[in-house]
Amino acid sequence: MKKLLDTLGHYLDVTLCNIKLALMVIIEYPASIAGWLISNPIQFIVGFATIKFVVAQFGEINGWNYGQLAFLYGLSVISHAVSMMFFVQGWFMGYSVIEGDFDRYLTRPLGVLYQFFFTTFNIFGITDLIPGIVVFIYGCIETGFRFTLGNAVGILVMIIGAAFIRGGIYIMLGSTSFWTKSANDFGQYTQEIFDKSTMYPISMYPESLQFILTYLIPIGWVSFYPVSGLMGIETAVGIGSGNVWITFAVGIIVMLAAGLMFRIGLRRYESAGN
Amino acid sequence: MIRVNDLHKEYHVVKKGQGLSGAVKGLFKSEKLTVNAVNGLNFHINEGEIVGFIGPNGSGKSTTIKMMTGILTPTSGEVLINGQNITKHRKEAVRDIGVVFGQRTQLNWDLRLEESFELLRHIYRIDKKQYSETLEVMDEILGIGEILSKPVRQMSLGQRMKGDLAASMLHSPKVLFLDEPTIGLDVGTKYSLRKFIKEINRLRKTTVILTTHDLGDIQQLCERIIIINSGVIMEDGNLSEIVERIAPYRTLKVEFYDSDIPKHERAELISEDNNVACYKFFKSELTAAELIRDLSGEKAIKDISIEEAGIDDIIRIAYGIKNVE
Ligand SMILES: Nc1ncnc2c1ncn2[C@@H]1O[C@H](COP(=O)(O)OP(=O)(O)O)[C@@H](O)[C@H]1O
Ligand SMILES: [Mg+2]
Repeated sequence: MKKLLDTLGHYLDVTLCNIKLALMVIIEYPASIAGWLISNPIQFIVGFATIKFVVAQFGEINGWNYGQLAFLYGLSVISHAVSMMFFVQGWFMGYSVIEGDFDRYLTRPLGVLYQFFFTTFNIFGITDLIPGIVVFIYGCIETGFRFTLGNAVGILVMIIGAAFIRGGIYIMLGSTSFWTKSANDFGQYTQEIFDKSTMYPISMYPESLQFILTYLIPIGWVSFYPVSGLMGIETAVGIGSGNVWITFAVGIIVMLAAGLMFRIGLRRYESAGN
Repeated sequence: MIRVNDLHKEYHVVKKGQGLSGAVKGLFKSEKLTVNAVNGLNFHINEGEIVGFIGPNGSGKSTTIKMMTGILTPTSGEVLINGQNITKHRKEAVRDIGVVFGQRTQLNWDLRLEESFELLRHIYRIDKKQYSETLEVMDEILGIGEILSKPVRQMSLGQRMKGDLAASMLHSPKVLFLDEPTIGLDVGTKYSLRKFIKEINRLRKTTVILTTHDLGDIQQLCERIIIINSGVIMEDGNLSEIVERIAPYRTLKVEFYDSDIPKHERAELISEDNNVACYKFFKSELTAAELIRDLSGEKAIKDISIEEAGIDDIIRIAYGIKNVE
């Protein structure tokens, strides 16, 4: 127990040092952040405007009214932003496998995955958070969502679980490079699939696809099921305010599976030849 | 200190398909080619030794170093650092080692040197006092004081190497691994690097294992060498003993007054160029004095010099033995 706390303290200490250094790099190269600050929010606002347009045309999507869609969309963007802050490196894991970047992490006395994600801390992810929060608040007002301690904790738990599901999937996709030995860049495809299946209700897709998104690649748990639970909308797995906790559990399971796959892959790591 | 038992490494080279479909196919079935890079190494290195790992390109030096430093998982066999299996107890075992690769830096491009050091101080939990002491020593040996506040991306190769060397010693490792550290370095930095290795070995009893193609590095630093070819150890032992055993000859270079060059029955005439000749002779059969006396008895000698067999000869012979097999 004492040893565990000591280890946690050590990792926290290194993380804080990394965040400090990341901030210093931003201060040193401020131009690099400007692009993010402008392009990301614009992207999401445009996406949201699209929904507004669709809803204006059809009144609602699969029984979801405008406010509920905003609520869903907002939370999806928020968990995306959190996953970008902590796990964006996963998109580039293939390159690190091929380029031999893990050499450095392997020769240091810390977890390899930890170092991979946290030695280049992506503070820019925060910029994605802002449009997400704006749309989410809008959704709350529109639906008259009443905050209680229970559902506030639920939303927090759901965001963590959702970020874990996203991050875990990035890690699994990235780890395939240990086997293929090529830098598979899944980033863009993954993002499109995530966007399409977390920003809109998946009940609008064919049942077979819904099944896959629920049980096989559990993206449905990123936002659709937990938000359905919070909004009191019935789904294929039933209504439940407990859905947020299932999201959390699914997040942990996906993350553990991803960690295991990464570990097995790392044994096949061949560094970079010359 | 370090024990290597029956170490093997195979690489699996995957033939790649094109584009995304190729990558997806590669997930399921792929043509594999096996490369046996290291084939059963056994050796033991004691505390405080400086060992030179030498061999031609592709002989498996880097692969061995990478297995010894926990980067690659051996196909079979084991590496023990201070009694700990580096594959099974990586996080614990790597505390005792420092690693420097000539071709690539361990430092962060975006940071200043001192910021990279600060991060390492946290990673290895080095206390402030020990940290500043080590920095002082590193400044004395390498003169890193002046580059501490320089961003790594703006450094010359030589400066970066000095930064890497200092970084590898911050946590006072018991063993330092260097893979081709002198490659591409200017004479001045090369000199600093050799001084650095000698000093840390003397001051801290750091065990040093290095690979190099530079014979000067070997001659100046290593008492012991391990010669490796095709992933197999050809020679392992004291440098001068190996020289004595596999190249126990010298060459005598003689300048005569004209190009009519005499022969000697117990020395081989290996080259002649106008009035300069080189004779190769074995120490056990003939002394230099005898040879010179005999030659000068036949022709008048203008000038002479004697050379011991060099490391390049040793390596050539060691590789040659392998080729004959
Ligand atoms: N990452 C790799 N993938 C496939 N083959 C490799 C890789 N690294 C090295 N090899 C092969 O393994 C052999 C040994 O290489 P290496 O250990 O780099 O030798 P050295 O350092 O002595 O030049 C060579 O045949 C080389 O081509
Ligand atoms: Mg090499």
